[in-house]
Amino acid sequence: MDRREFFSWAKDGLGATAFASLLLREGKARAGVVGEASPPCPHFAPKAKRAIHICLVGAMSHLDTFDYKPGLIKAHGKPLQSTDRPDVFFGQVGLLRKPDWEFRRRGQSGLWISDLFPHIGEMADELTVINSMVADTSNHTPATFQENGGFRLNGFPTLGAWLSYGLGTEADDLPAFVVIPDARELPPGGSVNWSNGFLPARHQGVVIRPKGEPIDDLFPSRKLSPAADRAARDLAIEMNRRHLAAHGNDDALSARIRGYELAARMQLAVPQVTGLQGETAETQGLYGLDRPETADFGRSCLIARRLLERGVRFVQLFSGGTFGSPRRNWDGHEDMKKNHSQEALRIDKPVAGLLRDLRRRGLLDDTLVLFTTEFGRTPFTQSAANVVGIGRDHNQYGFSVWMAGAGLKHGMAYGATDEIGWKAVEKPARWHDFHATVLRLLGIDHERLDYYHDGIRRRLTNVHGDPIREILA
Amino acid sequence: MALTAVSIAHAAAPDFDTRVAPILARHCLDCHAGTDPKGGLDLSRRQTAMRGGDGGEAIVPGKLDESLLWENVADGSMPPKSKLSDAEKATLRDWIGGGATWGTDPIDAFQVTTERRAGRDWWAFRPLSRPSIGPGGNAIDTFVLRELAKAGLKPATTTDRRVLIRRLSFDVLGLPPTPEDIETFVLDDRPDAYERLVDRSLASPQYGVRWARPWLDLARYGESNGFEFDEFRPTAWPYRDWVVNALNRDMPYDEFARKQIAGDVLHPDDAASIEATGFLVAGAYDTVGQGQLSIAMRKAVRQDELEDIVSTVGQTFLGLTVHCARCHDHKFDPIRQVEYYRMSAAFAGVRRGERDLTPLDPDVDVAKRRLTELDAKVSVVEAPAWNKFRASLKLSGNPPIPLASWDFDRPSANREQALLATLKGSARLLPEGLNVDGKSGYSATVPLMHDLKAKTLEAWVKLDDLNQRGGGVISVQSLDGSSFDGIIFAENDPGLWMAGSEGFARSRKFGGPPETEAVGRPIHMAIVYSEDGTISAYRDGKPYGKPYRSSGPVVFRAGQAQVLFGLRHATPDGNRLLAGLIVRGRLYDRALTAAEVAISASAGGNGPTPQAVEAALSPAARTERAGLMAEIKAETAKIKGRDRRAYVVQPAAPEPVHLLTRGNPAQPAQLLATGGIAAISGPSAEFGLAADAPEAERRIRLATWMTSSQNPLFARVIVNRLWQWHFGRGLVDQSSDFGFNGGRPSHPELLDWLAGELVSNGWSLKHIHRLILTSKTYRQSSRLDPSLVKVDADNRLLGRKSPQRLDAEMIRDAMFSVAGNLDLRPGGPGFREFELVKAEGTAAMFYRSIDAAGPESSRRTLYRTWARGGRSGFLDAFDCPDPSTTSPRRPVTTTPQQALAMLNNALTFRLADQFAARLRREAGDDPAKQVERAYRLAFGRNPDAIESDRAARVVIEHGAAVFARAIFNSNEFLSID
Repeated sequence: MDRREFFSWAKDGLGATAFASLLLREGKARAGVVGEASPPCPHFAPKAKRAIHICLVGAMSHLDTFDYKPGLIKAHGKPLQSTDRPDVFFGQVGLLRKPDWEFRRRGQSGLWISDLFPHIGEMADELTVINSMVADTSNHTPATFQENGGFRLNGFPTLGAWLSYGLGTEADDLPAFVVIPDARELPPGGSVNWSNGFLPARHQGVVIRPKGEPIDDLFPSRKLSPAADRAARDLAIEMNRRHLAAHGNDDALSARIRGYELAARMQLAVPQVTGLQGETAETQGLYGLDRPETADFGRSCLIARRLLERGVRFVQLFSGGTFGSPRRNWDGHEDMKKNHSQEALRIDKPVAGLLRDLRRRGLLDDTLVLFTTEFGRTPFTQSAANVVGIGRDHNQYGFSVWMAGAGLKHGMAYGATDEIGWKAVEKPARWHDFHATVLRLLGIDHERLDYYHDGIRRRLTNVHGDPIREILA
Repeated sequence: MALTAVSIAHAAAPDFDTRVAPILARHCLDCHAGTDPKGGLDLSRRQTAMRGGDGGEAIVPGKLDESLLWENVADGSMPPKSKLSDAEKATLRDWIGGGATWGTDPIDAFQVTTERRAGRDWWAFRPLSRPSIGPGGNAIDTFVLRELAKAGLKPATTTDRRVLIRRLSFDVLGLPPTPEDIETFVLDDRPDAYERLVDRSLASPQYGVRWARPWLDLARYGESNGFEFDEFRPTAWPYRDWVVNALNRDMPYDEFARKQIAGDVLHPDDAASIEATGFLVAGAYDTVGQGQLSIAMRKAVRQDELEDIVSTVGQTFLGLTVHCARCHDHKFDPIRQVEYYRMSAAFAGVRRGERDLTPLDPDVDVAKRRLTELDAKVSVVEAPAWNKFRASLKLSGNPPIPLASWDFDRPSANREQALLATLKGSARLLPEGLNVDGKSGYSATVPLMHDLKAKTLEAWVKLDDLNQRGGGVISVQSLDGSSFDGIIFAENDPGLWMAGSEGFARSRKFGGPPETEAVGRPIHMAIVYSEDGTISAYRDGKPYGKPYRSSGPVVFRAGQAQVLFGLRHATPDGNRLLAGLIVRGRLYDRALTAAEVAISASAGGNGPTPQAVEAALSPAARTERAGLMAEIKAETAKIKGRDRRAYVVQPAAPEPVHLLTRGNPAQPAQLLATGGIAAISGPSAEFGLAADAPEAERRIRLATWMTSSQNPLFARVIVNRLWQWHFGRGLVDQSSDFGFNGGRPSHPELLDWLAGELVSNGWSLKHIHRLILTSKTYRQSSRLDPSLVKVDADNRLLGRKSPQRLDAEMIRDAMFSVAGNLDLRPGGPGFREFELVKAEGTAAMFYRSIDAAGPESSRRTLYRTWARGGRSGFLDAFDCPDPSTTSPRRPVTTTPQQALAMLNNALTFRLADQFAARLRREAGDDPAKQVERAYRLAFGRNPDAIESDRAARVVIEHGAAVFARAIFNSNEFLSID
């Protein structure tokens, strides 16, 4: 069968996808194959080859972290000056409250970052902060779906799934899209957060647990002798080879045989990635592995770096579990100080360590780091109208995220909220713009990465989005 | 040029609507219309066309040389891609030259198909054609051969019987054939052996189990809400069973569709028809979003919910992406935005929830009526006892009868109507009542079985201390806690009783005195919620403060509300918990009068004791009463266990439906009535309904319109799906989109012929299956012919049968089947491959996956419980779709994760053991015999000598289970030729 015949046959669907995906490493064309991006990605020279996404569940307060608002400090204890009653999630509009942490200028760039993140603050010159984010809802889960997948609904592919679909993996022994949930608990909605949506199921995020068995079914679920394990595999492979020969070297069938070879390689590769013994004490310390409060997230960050090094395209880390009490994510309704201190302590050192480590290894030159949360928090407290409370409600109208790494202008803040940090007023950016920017850095035109579903060539950015050019280097 | 030679004077100006407008629509309006027309020129409206664009005047009536439009058309620069014929050019020229008289305004851009979009002349909207078929044979083959011949190709030979029965068995039943079935078929020399096999297969109850799956894929069927809370839906499965049963019975397809859209209103007395409406509400549901305080955001979420329904209905039954017209006219198909909203008006009253269908069971109905009679008789017989009781307490009447009552001080005395209340947290049941500690203890009931509007809450309660604030004594709340009414102590003011409600929406001060006694003795509290919104409170049977008018009463829906004791409302934290002793509680589904409350308080929730009743009756009355009680017991026993509940449509008063400008709920335009899609030929899309038409009418009319035999899409779409599910690919590629993006059919005549067959054979799906299965096209060999690949690599022309990999469910079922352990029991609640985990302090549910090794799990995979957050890694590896989204066609992929799942999952090992045990049982200890048996079970054939030797060595060295694991991992096991 010549090459043309191979690819035409491949289009028939059955083996095709398989073969194309298995051949990625050799850089073979993927166009026109069921379940593969067409036209093939990247669309132009990428700045970043891979990305890591730190996703803060529950809504981190921009006012207490990256969005310095002297106006809010001045207005502390005053009522919000607004003609309309704010449409906030829990309906209570208390008095304005200044941030609970001091802000300082950091690094050469002089970026304002609060004392909640002293370690990340040290890395200020690596950060590209966006202070004018706007979300379409202040309901956590739909907002998180939008943050990750562009739509407020269940059933849409997430960023990682799109990248798996568009770019595949650079490794042939590790999946393209890996998810490391918070060590305490899954985020609300569980696996829906890394869904393939309508893309083929193999683009779903593969969960690597930071503790215990890293991946489901990586090893036999039952103790058996290596000889017996081997005997079953060898026999299956032989049966498959005979079957293949009898079926005219059908590509679907040979792809499945190749799948078994790759599975065997994954069995070697995954433990190598998750076993951190080879890392020096200094590196482990850098990520905070030596302290109980930072060990969980530090481990996740270090595993993430090791995955990226080995060719994984997109690693997503979750900080925070589901909603409820006691709080175990960033949802500081009752007590901002207590809640954000608890959550920030877990991640500040590990995230800074990750940035530092990526930089010194040269990885930050072609790696993108994303640090986002579904929306921000209100400048007024969630309390009775005449009270300065200690908790803040949801705020979809203005909040902060940051990026770091390849292709960005570093040490800058983009856009702005109003004087008290209530609404984005200068260069508002929506998730579609954020996603378009991320895709662009990865060499993808967000209008051309699409998949036919429900009568529409669906995109991560729906029918919106423009890359934020001002932050691109 | 030649055109100019024609004298303008001789040409009559062409009619605009019939001659000019079609040209403009076909060639110009793709760019020169809409919100942002190219070059600023909008040719769809008279005013804008005459005004011209950025370049100047496009049309100057009577003056060709000044008309830019003509200039560009004449020199061929417009339209840029398609070319106008000379005749078309002449028409435009004559029209402008003749004065450019406009007709219908704006031009109907949907009248014709262009290069970019479908018009009303698009093939799919046209009536079914009746294609001519040659004599003899199965017409399917006639059409397929015709197309093959055109390409100079011949069909493949018929495949051999072993391959054929395996193909048929998986295809029709989703299961491998047994070795015995194979041998019988191979040896059956009757001329119609295959046709008999087809008939037998289609009659098997396993047919419905196999074919329900792709339908449930379309229905985005999931058994939990998705979104943040992902609450479990324990009674979603009756819809799944309804689909299986309907397919097995070969329910006519039009009826099948009608019932899923309007079964509850078409047949309100038939439980099964109500269960069919599970289709509309099978998708995800955002409880938090629908319940949030912001009305604007709530509206947006409701619009998303309606889009989910319109989208699923439109795609499933019509193959149209109607939802693409939510924000603007459809970009590719002739569907107007207004039509989207007219269709969504049909569902404006669709709400969802669990319905108690038990009363629809005729036996239950009879028993319940009998029970009412018996109760009345008992009252008559017991009257002397009640009179005595009343006299002793000086009551002015009998105490009112509650909807539900809880006597925590004598749990065994609870009557039938008590709703089961379970203890939560640290709550304890003491002899004197329900003890709650204000920290974590409370009690919650199962969901209410009736809607509740006007109501009375009543309780006898003792408090641990009078300084506590905010605890609830008795509340009724929506299951998510977002709405509630309750008797609350001191939430706003120290010591005061109040009627609590979400965000104090219906709470005001009664003005009664602070509580002083409730630490010493149980006091009586009642709050009455009248139909007109008045809320009154009573303490120890006397008015407590003054009644006030509220915005209520709130309706709590059956199946969606529950009663709480000791907790204000969910979630149990903060100051919502009460510290005290709740002795008794009563819930009434009406507003009690002051007199009734007084009687109830005086009676203390008591009636005469059984002993008192006995004592007050004559011996004859005692005998009569005993007989009645025995009968009550018998009737009650009849009802027990016959509960029938289902998560289905719960119709409500429809909200008004407006056209929403740019899809924005904050920008409503005109009010709309229910209607269909006008582009579809056949039945009228105008239903003649008013904008405020009753809920039932709307869905019935839409269903009737959609399922009309004159609606060509309805029949075409389903026969194409059947074709796709048999061949792996439809005659139309995008089986849920017959619009412009879906493309054109590979065999248009075949598609219409099949659709016609369906309509003229009573909408029998099995008839279509039979036609397909008995065709030579279906029976072809799958062998790859290199010459065929060159001409038709996609096998669009069907010159062979494309081989297929088994679906995830078939793989799992086949493993159980060959292991000899498949449980074919139909229906009922599904088995669970997860543990339900309730996250602390929230309504959110998690589905922690477990290795479900129990006997339940050996049922067919269709009966797996499909929580949205509870996907299966094993099934996902084999392309099981996300149940949050409609999946008209599953992709088939090959990945290393598949290999890992099949090699290492606990299921593989467990079933390999069972398979091995079966081999020993059925083939004895001889390894060669075991191998032979295994090959026959798993592959439907005997091993050759090499295969046999090789496998037998593994059996000898490592045991048959190791061999069985290899079989599960073989390609032959997973694929159908």
